[in-house]
Amino acid sequence: MKNIRLILCALAFFGVAACQKDFLEKKPIVGVTEENFYRTEEDAIAAVNAAYATLQFQLSPAGHFRWFWGDIMSDDATKGGSGDNDVNDLLQLENFNGSSNTDLLESEWSANFEGIYRANVVLEKVPPIVMDENLKARILAEARFIRAWNYYNLVTMFGGVPLVDHVLAPSEYDMPRASANEIWDFIEQDLDIASRDLWKRSEYPPADLGRITQGAAQALLVKTYLWRQKWAEAKTTAEAIVQSNEYQLVANYADIFPLYGENNSESVFEIQYMNASGGNWGKNNANEGSFTNVFQRARGQFGGYGFNIPTQDFVDEFFKEGFEDPRLKSTVFRVGEPMGDRGVFTIDATGGFPHLYYPKKYFSNKSEDAPFGDPNPNGGSNDRVIRYADVLLMHAEAAYHTGNEDAARTSLNQVRDRVGIPHITATGQALLDAIYRERRLELGFEAHRFFDLVRTGQAPQVLQNLGFVAGIHELFPIPQSQIQATNGALTQNPGY
Amino acid sequence: MRNLLPFLFLLLASAVAAQVGVSGRVTLQPYGDAAIGATVRVKGANIGAVTDIDGNYQLNVSGPEVVLVFSYTGFADQEITVGNQRTIDVALAESAAQLAEVVVTGYGAQKRSSISGSVASVSAEEIAERPILRVEQALQGRTAGVQVAQTSGSPGSVLTVRVRGVGTINNSDPLYIVDGIPVDGLDFLNPNDIESINVLKDAASAAIYGARGANGVVLITTKGGKRNQDGKISYDAYYGIQRPWRLVDLLDAREYATLQNEAYLAAGKTPPPEFANPAVLGEGTNWQEAIFEHAPIASHQLTFTGGGERSAYTLSGNYFSQDGIVGGDKANFQRATVRFNSSHDLKTWFTLGNNIGFTWLERDGLIENSQYNSPIIRALNMDPITPVRKADGTFAYSNYADTDIANPVNGIEQTHSTWRTNRVVGSVYGDLKLAPGLTFRSAYSLDATFAVQRGFVPRFDLSNVPSLSEAPAAEKNLVNSVSVGNFNWRNWQLENVLTWQKTFQQKHNLTLIAGTTALSNRYDASGGANTNLPSNDPDDAYISNTIDPIASQSAYQFASESSLFSWFGKTNYEFDDRYLFSATFRADGSSRFGRNNRYGYFPSFSAGWIASHESFWNVPFVNFFKLRASWGQNGNDRIGDYSFTTVVSTGQNYTFGPGENITNGSVALTAANPDLKWETSTQTNFGADFELFDGRVGLIADYYIKKTSDMLYAAPIPLVAGTAAPVQNVATAENRGIELALNYRGRISEVRYTLGGNISFIESEVTSLGRGGEPVYSGYVQFANANAAKTDVGHPLGAFYGYVTDGIFQSQAEVEAAAFQSEQTSPGDIRFKDLDGNGVIDANDQTYIGNPTPSIIYGFNADFSWKGLELNLFFQGTEGNDIFNSTTRYDFAYVNRPSSALNRWTGPGTSNTEPRVSLNDPNQNARISDRFIEDGSYLRLKTLQLGYNLPQNWLKKVRFDKMKIYVTGQNLLTFTKYSGLDPEIGNVGGSLEIGIDRGFYPQARTVMGGVSLTF
Repeated sequence: MKNIRLILCALAFFGVAACQKDFLEKKPIVGVTEENFYRTEEDAIAAVNAAYATLQFQLSPAGHFRWFWGDIMSDDATKGGSGDNDVNDLLQLENFNGSSNTDLLESEWSANFEGIYRANVVLEKVPPIVMDENLKARILAEARFIRAWNYYNLVTMFGGVPLVDHVLAPSEYDMPRASANEIWDFIEQDLDIASRDLWKRSEYPPADLGRITQGAAQALLVKTYLWRQKWAEAKTTAEAIVQSNEYQLVANYADIFPLYGENNSESVFEIQYMNASGGNWGKNNANEGSFTNVFQRARGQFGGYGFNIPTQDFVDEFFKEGFEDPRLKSTVFRVGEPMGDRGVFTIDATGGFPHLYYPKKYFSNKSEDAPFGDPNPNGGSNDRVIRYADVLLMHAEAAYHTGNEDAARTSLNQVRDRVGIPHITATGQALLDAIYRERRLELGFEAHRFFDLVRTGQAPQVLQNLGFVAGIHELFPIPQSQIQATNGALTQNPGY
Repeated sequence: MRNLLPFLFLLLASAVAAQVGVSGRVTLQPYGDAAIGATVRVKGANIGAVTDIDGNYQLNVSGPEVVLVFSYTGFADQEITVGNQRTIDVALAESAAQLAEVVVTGYGAQKRSSISGSVASVSAEEIAERPILRVEQALQGRTAGVQVAQTSGSPGSVLTVRVRGVGTINNSDPLYIVDGIPVDGLDFLNPNDIESINVLKDAASAAIYGARGANGVVLITTKGGKRNQDGKISYDAYYGIQRPWRLVDLLDAREYATLQNEAYLAAGKTPPPEFANPAVLGEGTNWQEAIFEHAPIASHQLTFTGGGERSAYTLSGNYFSQDGIVGGDKANFQRATVRFNSSHDLKTWFTLGNNIGFTWLERDGLIENSQYNSPIIRALNMDPITPVRKADGTFAYSNYADTDIANPVNGIEQTHSTWRTNRVVGSVYGDLKLAPGLTFRSAYSLDATFAVQRGFVPRFDLSNVPSLSEAPAAEKNLVNSVSVGNFNWRNWQLENVLTWQKTFQQKHNLTLIAGTTALSNRYDASGGANTNLPSNDPDDAYISNTIDPIASQSAYQFASESSLFSWFGKTNYEFDDRYLFSATFRADGSSRFGRNNRYGYFPSFSAGWIASHESFWNVPFVNFFKLRASWGQNGNDRIGDYSFTTVVSTGQNYTFGPGENITNGSVALTAANPDLKWETSTQTNFGADFELFDGRVGLIADYYIKKTSDMLYAAPIPLVAGTAAPVQNVATAENRGIELALNYRGRISEVRYTLGGNISFIESEVTSLGRGGEPVYSGYVQFANANAAKTDVGHPLGAFYGYVTDGIFQSQAEVEAAAFQSEQTSPGDIRFKDLDGNGVIDANDQTYIGNPTPSIIYGFNADFSWKGLELNLFFQGTEGNDIFNSTTRYDFAYVNRPSSALNRWTGPGTSNTEPRVSLNDPNQNARISDRFIEDGSYLRLKTLQLGYNLPQNWLKKVRFDKMKIYVTGQNLLTFTKYSGLDPEIGNVGGSLEIGIDRGFYPQARTVMGGVSLTF
């Protein structure tokens, strides 16, 4: 009997202990939290859509447009705006005199890491969901592309950055920088998987127009290879895109950029915007509109902010072959030309600013403005990030470097044929220079120039007069606030 | 276990051995009074007796070796071996009550003299001499280091209890344990049922409650019966009337009109014609008198208690009802409780017991402490021109007020809000004696609450012409509405504790305790609302009676769960009654903690040295002297049930398809925190206990340093996270304090008296808000449209923060000479100090302008008795705290003002404190500034009681044991410089909302008469 008592006592004592593991697992009963979301196919799609949403970030909370860095930092454009004090930090950066203590760079940093976080959420939470495996693989590949794209932005702007390959716990926030090489490896790895699992453009149903395609992953991979001077891989991958027959150049260059030219036949990677949501000057994570339209439109009666003003040097480039390159009239507005339905461009009409040119590619008509009378209406122009013409020119560059000048010329001239200008027959360095020049003309004001100059090593020479110092200005400074926020775990780039 | 069976036989054998009768008389030294109700018990057995009204006792014992223990509250126990004596008379010596009392310490009890931690106690006697309405009030001013403040003076409202100051920016409530059951809130408990309250203050004492002990632990024991006592029936009742103790001096109609005229002129506008001759307006309406009333309060208690040799019980029932001094029965609180506690020795080795209480309570709620629409803020701000009622008897509305400030009497009339609770808190336990000194207790307890909230907003319209409905929006409600909410809490706990007590060689006393606890909580809520009832009668207010379509109904449902599983152990070791050691350890696993920190571990150590028991001790007037030191760690697990996870937000959209379809995206915008854990408090305590002059003086002193770390706060995080900052365990705070409790017993001729007092000095500050942590702003004040309080590193929690006034501008030249304030700053406006000296008054000129937390809290009592008469006085107060007086809605030009406004500036030299009046306030004279900070210190005569115990010889004739009649006054005297309705203002809202008077419901001054009889 005493044994029974002992046993009862021991049972009472340890019995509760036996089941305590489950006992302590309490998940929220009501409401959608991380603990009870991510259970269905719809949840998986919603998760990856949230990652897409970060592609649209332009003001989070300060401006960090791709063209800030790609165009304004280059010899193609100057800042513009209402004067030197209008986003003065940008002017300082443009003069290669910028401070690490600017919310422009902090916002760029933030937006990319937010994209990386959301992609990581998808990569962690979607695999256990029971759903169509083909679709699941695509969703994971989309997330990998978005993660790679954000890292591509970060590595080309800041060099090595923290390598965040999972959702961080608070104890992991003070993460040091990985090397640029590690980041590039990581990008390559993600894109490699993404380009295998992503669907081809033609495989998506129409309702999914705008989703990342296999071609987009391959094209970003080609860009990555070019940065790393992996010419052979770049050439092979670019050829895979060509041979997929998914893309072809739009017949008329002028048809690429208007709203009706969105997602056209040469669109490889395009960030989707629409003009259906209100202007939101806060963190625009829930905004489907683009602020590029209003920022780049002339001031005065055109109601824009007049940023990203083409330089004379850029315009002159279009006349260097002895004729006016036909692409100029689709790239810049010149005095006297009508600015769509908003009136004729005169100095007076733009509020008296002494600019002879305004960018045209992201111009939209008044009739296309959102209807809700926002004083700062956002536009609907998709951001043409990678076009097939870019792929052809990257192929030309890769072919040149692998000693295949014929192939290089073929691709280069395919781009020139579209606008009906003479073939390039040059060889050697002259051919390479012609490819570089073609990129400037074909892809002008599409945020490529500064990065092309840095990538191809031309920046020190081309941007010398603008203040560029080799060994420093290839990279932007790491935001000072983040060095402080990590208690110095992040280190500054040399020269800043 | 092999030894157990013989042991049981031994017990049985002793029970049947020959019985010897012993009797005698117990008296009290030094005067030889009869000790009525003293207990005489056989040491080590459940046999005993209680003395009668002459101090006589009688009981049977098993033999000469039996030791009898004589005890009487307030007197030292005496042990006598029976030997050959058949008559044993005992004269008990007084002891300082503080050191003789038994202190419940969590899974055990100890004599105060052998405690090495810091525990404050309140006994049933102390509660009895001062009728209290709520249990928390028993702690106010009675326990050093425990601050109790009203969250409202309205009946049934909760009190905030802060043990050793506010240690965290988050939940600072202590853990309440009633008869071993953790409970949320004490409103269910009838104060008359309480045997003792013990507050575990230092971390070493509270560490046995681990992750829940950081804010201190309040242990409450309810009355059970005693073995071997005659059955007793007692009836206690009181009835009283409550009144406001003061009204605020406001402008009357004449003065109001005079100031309004000036205000219009100052703003360049024409005053209303009806104010042209203020004198004819007379006094006008006193809105405070209109809302305050004399409100009754009553309590009836019936208690049955008794005990035989093998069982004891107490059954009690109580009914309590209190109306509000504002709102009367619209603020009524009623509570009925039934409690049955019993224990039974089923076997010599097994005792079964229960403590079960049932509570029904109903509270009718007015809107309280709101700066927008409470009756009090309306009464303080409503113009005195408007009458309460129109000529036809219906309620009037003000022609001057528009929003918020509406007729408060009508507001009360139209309020129908009731909260009704049925709650069962109970436990059953079994005590198993496994071997000598070794017991095992298993207890299962349940705390189940079923609450219903009903609300009804009737149709009303104070318009003069109903068809025009011209009254402002706040004075009418054209569609009535009804709402209901059901709230259920169900918590159970299973606790198993093994206790081993052993004395070695008569010098080594060892106690070992080990146990486990499993605790599970579930909360469910659901409710609904709809509009448009055909009947405007509150009795018909049910959703099913509404005629609006179902589509206009709203409904909600919510549920949450949490659980706790713990292991704990404790050891007490005493050597030769001189050296005391204690160590505890608790491991708490909680579902509230993140996956990476599921278990928290909480150690503690304490030691004491009773120097006066050393052979070398020869300080003649110091009878007892003990030094104590302790160190321990506790946690605060009130961090929310699911804070480790994060909400997934929809609306993170993207557009797809040729039609640019907005497609939903969902993601958590704030990081989850799998590392989330308890807040940790580490506390070191030093103390000393003295008993001087033959026990007439008792002194307990403590000094402590309490450091809170891992405090939850959403400090900014590096952007690599990709999310907003999660709540993390990053902030720290520190409290330091000194506590003194002094007691003196004396006698002058026939008058016995006790003087007691305690005082606590507290300092607290936030020491870190994490890396990059931004200050926390709180205390929103509507009239300034700004926060009045700021919590930042190096400052107290919720400290007042704003501008510093520097007199009134007497001339335009002074305006121009001073720092720029506004384009329209005029003479008569307040000059603010330009603290940063940049020539402009801007946000940088704000500074800390007050501290809402007292630096000193104290209480003292004086109890006198002469023959059957008793007089008890009890004072309580605070020192060093400020109150932000935001009772005047300066954002409205039409509101009434305190009569201090009569000292306004009207021309050079007229005032240097009170600014000019103006319809607009271009200089923002009403910005947050020290203008509104007042000294909130007070001293209050909380209780004065005069009682008379009827003489025994009278009572004998009617077979009563005891009968006492008394009158009690509460809050009869208040000394304060504060100008508002009441200085006793605690937390209203979050833990950083301290000392802000937004129209605080004041405490009442109460006079009541009562009777207490036992037979």
